[in-house]
Amino acid sequence: MSKFWVIFVREYLNIVKKKAFLAGVILTPLIMIAFMVLPSLLGDLDLSEAESIAVIDFSGQKVGEQFIEAIKEYDLDDDNNPAYSNLSLIEIDYFDSSSFIAAKDSLNEMVIDEELKFLLVIENDSTRQPSSTSLITNSDNFPSIRRFERELTAIISGIKLNHAKINLPVDSVLSLTERIDLEIVNTTGDSVNPRTKLIFAFTSIMILFMTLMTYGQLLMRSIIEEKNSRIMEVLISSVSPFQLMMGKIVGFGAATLTQVMIWILMGSVLSLFGSMFSAELSLGQILFNPVIIIFYVLLLVFGFFLFSTFFALLGALFDSDKDAQNFLLPITLLLMVPILLSGPIIREPDSTLAIVLSMIPVFAPTMMTMRIVLIVPTLAEYSLFSGIIGQAIVSLVILIITTIGMIWLVGKIFRVGILMYGKRPTLPEIVKWVKQ
Amino acid sequence: MLLKLNNISKSFEEKVAVHNLSMDIQAGLIYGIIGPNGAGKTTTIRMVMNITIPDSGEVLYKDKKIDESFKNIVGYLPEERGLYKKLTLAETIRYMGMLKNKSSKEISSKIDYWLKRVDLIEYKDKKVEELSKGMAQKLQFITTVIHDPEIIILDELFSGLDPLNMEVIKSIILEMKRSGKTILFSTHVMEQAEKLCDNICMIAGGEKVLDGKLADIKEDFGRNSIHLEFEGDGSFINEISGIKSVIDFNNYKELVLEKERDTNSILKQIADKVTVKKFDIVDPSLYDIFIEKAKQASLSAPATAKEIG
Repeated sequence: MSKFWVIFVREYLNIVKKKAFLAGVILTPLIMIAFMVLPSLLGDLDLSEAESIAVIDFSGQKVGEQFIEAIKEYDLDDDNNPAYSNLSLIEIDYFDSSSFIAAKDSLNEMVIDEELKFLLVIENDSTRQPSSTSLITNSDNFPSIRRFERELTAIISGIKLNHAKINLPVDSVLSLTERIDLEIVNTTGDSVNPRTKLIFAFTSIMILFMTLMTYGQLLMRSIIEEKNSRIMEVLISSVSPFQLMMGKIVGFGAATLTQVMIWILMGSVLSLFGSMFSAELSLGQILFNPVIIIFYVLLLVFGFFLFSTFFALLGALFDSDKDAQNFLLPITLLLMVPILLSGPIIREPDSTLAIVLSMIPVFAPTMMTMRIVLIVPTLAEYSLFSGIIGQAIVSLVILIITTIGMIWLVGKIFRVGILMYGKRPTLPEIVKWVKQ
Repeated sequence: MLLKLNNISKSFEEKVAVHNLSMDIQAGLIYGIIGPNGAGKTTTIRMVMNITIPDSGEVLYKDKKIDESFKNIVGYLPEERGLYKKLTLAETIRYMGMLKNKSSKEISSKIDYWLKRVDLIEYKDKKVEELSKGMAQKLQFITTVIHDPEIIILDELFSGLDPLNMEVIKSIILEMKRSGKTILFSTHVMEQAEKLCDNICMIAGGEKVLDGKLADIKEDFGRNSIHLEFEGDGSFINEISGIKSVIDFNNYKELVLEKERDTNSILKQIADKVTVKKFDIVDPSLYDIFIEKAKQASLSAPATAKEIG
């Protein structure tokens, strides 16, 4: 077994055998899923007990009455217990504003004292139409608020329609103005939800960002530690500094890849059952696209190699995490650029800006991933020489050539840097090492 | 010649660490590289190990310039010791051996032998972090020799070892010499160098100031030392003419004389003023030679590397 492999195997196993690795593999997607699923899950939760609501109707047009009638229909549970209790309605004549203020103040107190959950106040606007309604509450119960909005919209629209004297039954007008949800369909006729694509694009680049930063920093720390514990000199009395650097970079890269491959597998399995949770989470169609997976893995691997040369460089140049930490921000920013620019890229993933950025090696891993995820699912056919696939190949070639160049350059600095203790090298010194 | 250092030089920025150093190393002998701190010992050793590349000159192994493969036949114990804390002793030895191109199997068969030899066998599956400093030293020594190297290079071998462990390591080194290995070690503890070495190379200020068989070096220096034990105020002794240098221990002095001085007249001058308890005319110790040479070197080359080991 060549020495490179000896180092590779040790570095790889050293990470993969750690409990933290297993924890990261399992916990990271759980946290991600929790972030995506929890809001919708929470939104669908049933109320545990009836909530009290009072309505002050200052409109003089029976909005409150209709509203109370409407929300009486909501059930708390399967036993037909009502969802809302203490339904009290105070109707105040439009000209009696002092009673209105008094009623509002006293009921407001009840909300503060938590004797009352919601206080709905219905007022008229300047055209004497009921519209400026407000809800006074300390609760964030979304489902209830959404119900109230829905009912009030229907009631007030009805009243307005009546005022407008349109010669049609109110119900039929309301059904005519029903909101339309567009189904987004690609040229081959597959339905592709843009929200799903976005979620997937962001998940992909977040994984890329997190793994590159985490394992890159681990690599940097392991080099600093080997310097500080003086193992470095023992190691390079057996292997060449280049073998050592490559063994470490490839070992850490393989650990990164292992983690991401496990996630891709987990994602594939999950997406099979995805429709059970929520239609929006059925990433299957996108995830199972082999073109996306192949390019994602390639971008991830070579992106890691490129960025790990930066981290290896920091590790070789500095004696302490603290010194090296100062230089992490630029690296973080390089990876963050696509996230910061995501607005324009999402709107136009094929714009000149997007194409140019995805060709720059340091941006390529994240930028190209984002573009591929946004564009590839809409394609009917792929061409290796043009369009997004052609661009991805060019971008990968540029990335690989840059990575090889960086490995050569950093290898030269690494060789000298790892034996320097206690003193920060200056830029001219580093240039001298490269020339040697 | 097994190993040949040909006019090697190395500078770090403005400082000259090693200047035009040449040395011939024959197979089967023990070589000591001595010199004051910062003389260039470690830099020399690193150049021999192909870790540091000389600015000029070359290191030849069997008449060929050394390359990466040379590392496989050398065992190197650096001055600054270091091991992976989280590995067990067995894992450490195996990893270090495999980095010398040995198979895991070849090493496995030797792990127990060596751990027993240095009395660490009961720690075989313990982690390195549980070892005391002396134990870690012994473990590091095993990793240096586990691949049965032809040449063993030990930088400041004995630092941090107690006398008992020192004996263990010393006996292993002598055994290796008998089996034909070549040993090169640096030290600034002269007593050990004197007892162990066949040949001595002394470096001071980055330059070689002495090189050769220990016996020859001593003979060159002449039988010109006096070990003196006395009672009374001996401060005047340092001023007696004909005495080149004095190593002072209060009631005990080692006097190095200028060549062919009459020892009798010196004894008379001393005996006049203090009670002489012992007056020994001896070969110079390596210690005497070291001090003498180091002084000369620092006078002739004052501005050379002081911080580079």
